Amino acid sequence: MNDEDISRPKWKRWLLNRFVLVPAALVLITVGWNLWVVTHDHGIVEGRVVDAAGAPVEGAEVRLWVFNFATFVVKASTTTRPDGSFEFADNPSHNIQVSAEKPGTGRSARVPIRLYFASEDFVLKDPLRLTDGS
Amino acid sequence: MRRPHFKLRKSTRKAVLIWSFLAPSLLIFFLYRILPLGWNVLLSFQAWSPMKPAVFIGLENYQEMLFEDEVFWQALWNTIGIIGSAPIGIAIALGLALLVNSDIRGRDIYRTLIFLSYPLMTVAVAIIWRWMFDERVGLINYVARMLDLVDKPIPFLNSFTWALPSVIAANIWQMLGFYMIIILTGLQNIPGNLYEAAAIDGANAFRRFLRITLPLLKPSIFLCFVIGMLNSVTSFDLVYVMTAGGPGHATEILVTYIYKLGFTQTRFDYAAAVTVVFFLLLLGVTFTANRLSGGNAGAVEID
Amino acid sequence: MGKYPRWPIHLALLAASFVMLVPFYWVLKTSISGENIFAYPPSIIPRDPNPFYYVDVWYAIPFARFFLNSVVVSVITIVANVVLNAMAGYSLTQRFLGKSAVLMLFLSCMMIPFQTTIIPAYLITGKLGLLDSYLGLALPMFSTIICIFVFKASFDAIPRSLIDAARIDGLSDWNIIWKVMMPLAKSAMATNVILSFIWSWNNFMWPLIATRSADMQTLPLGLARFLSYQEDSTGALYAFCIMVLAPGILLFLLAQREFVQGLTSGAAKG
Repeated sequence: MNDEDISRPKWKRWLLNRFVLVPAALVLITVGWNLWVVTHDHGIVEGRVVDAAGAPVEGAEVRLWVFNFATFVVKASTTTRPDGSFEFADNPSHNIQVSAEKPGTGRSARVPIRLYFASEDFVLKDPLRLTDGS
Repeated sequence: MRRPHFKLRKSTRKAVLIWSFLAPSLLIFFLYRILPLGWNVLLSFQAWSPMKPAVFIGLENYQEMLFEDEVFWQALWNTIGIIGSAPIGIAIALGLALLVNSDIRGRDIYRTLIFLSYPLMTVAVAIIWRWMFDERVGLINYVARMLDLVDKPIPFLNSFTWALPSVIAANIWQMLGFYMIIILTGLQNIPGNLYEAAAIDGANAFRRFLRITLPLLKPSIFLCFVIGMLNSVTSFDLVYVMTAGGPGHATEILVTYIYKLGFTQTRFDYAAAVTVVFFLLLLGVTFTANRLSGGNAGAVEID
Repeated sequence: MGKYPRWPIHLALLAASFVMLVPFYWVLKTSISGENIFAYPPSIIPRDPNPFYYVDVWYAIPFARFFLNSVVVSVITIVANVVLNAMAGYSLTQRFLGKSAVLMLFLSCMMIPFQTTIIPAYLITGKLGLLDSYLGLALPMFSTIICIFVFKASFDAIPRSLIDAARIDGLSDWNIIWKVMMPLAKSAMATNVILSFIWSWNNFMWPLIATRSADMQTLPLGLARFLSYQEDSTGALYAFCIMVLAPGILLFLLAQREFVQGLTSGAAKG
């Protein structure tokens, strides 16, 4: 401790020591991250479905695909509401895809969604676009 | 003057204190260094399957090892090759240490950057280098083709000639910083007035290096060699992850062979025999190095 | 030393640093962009970097479990190491009957590398019933000779006058150790902590031998298993490498001085 200023109060010397600061910062970051995860992991995935012109589509079947070892399998499906929006609860994974289909209007591509942690609450930014009639 | 009889004399109390302080460490070393050494020797003369009693068979294990086991000789040869490559790393580190020791700004940063490879997990280092040497996507092949050194990519880790040098290169990369630090410390311990006296006597830089620096660095170099040798011949992690013994047994070293014999084939007795030979090899090389650097662990008197 | 141009030295050192750092950069780049696994020619700057390989690693293997195992074993090792080595180092500063024999013993134990003891060590640990347990994983590393000598050197450096003054003040030997000598051996303790952490964190061979169930594996084992199971097909393996290297690098950068000091002094004395 001979390269530190003895005139500083002892608690200050102790606190600003790099061996205390760095672990303390790490602990704070870990605790903060865990708090964030715990409050945001309900597994809700929301989005909208529109057709090729951009109008919301009601009654389209939306499927949630979950990554399982090497491929994606369908875990859940739901239908869109009158305004074209849909919502899944209980998404268990961090690597999912969503796709939408309405016979007669078309189907959308499978949109991959990567989450920062499993069951992160997520809102799809771009709506699922249905193309290619039938 | 009456003293209570149960109070021990001070010197005995002190002896009890000292020995009780030494006891745990001694126990650990006994249990995990000395006892295993003896047990290995004992096992090497026996035939033993776990569950059945041990049978004394004399030199049969050694006979099989020396006369019938090609893998053993390949592993031995590879191990000796690795020992022989230690001087390359030490020479490079010597050059780096001389550069870092000179009077330039930022030498501490260079020192840190070069030393960074030592405290890393060897498994991760092995994975990194395994990928760098890869035939299709490895960086080494890419650079070689960019510089037009080769026409087709070289399958480093799959060829019988390139596999062992690749492993050695990865090992040198990891140990370079460590060697450099030890040599650097040795360099900094050389008193500056020796150089000044030599300069006054008219010796140029090269002769100063040969006559002053090198001899006084002998203990550091000896230390580097011993530690480096011990580290490289026991580099189980590196070989296991990079090549698992190599194409055929091209990168099999004695340590990986002992592991395979003991834990894949469960031939504990034969593995013990190979271990004994391995240990004798290490002792032999260390003593030879000791002799070559002038005995007494290369210690040098400076007065 | 006379005037000589500096720039060739800088150039050479820059080249050396470049060679030492390129593997890091390469792995870091692949861990955030997943290229260079199949693509040729490789690119220097990552295209669309994303952190999701790190998320993949966290969920693909029981990373938290492996991390916990490594941490627990390291903590046990560090604590045991500091205590045992300090005690042994203190004893070696005193004069007692049999001291030279003990010193010879320690020095000769340095010549027995761990790899020559694996089979009996496995059998002994099995007999003690400690296979597949934290204690069994940590036990062989409870004491190391280099660190004993580091403590010894540190205790030797304490001026005799201090100890004598304490004795005159009436402190018993036990009190002298804890109140006078240990506070002055802080740097030896720091060195021991760092060295034993690095050795125990990076240790691959002993956990490979001494664990039976996948539950008790440590990080290096997890990494090796991940390699054989994932087969290099995504950036996840390299993300795992970075996650595993980070604590070692962080600790090294934080405690460089103590690290280097410990290595050189311990190695030189040994």
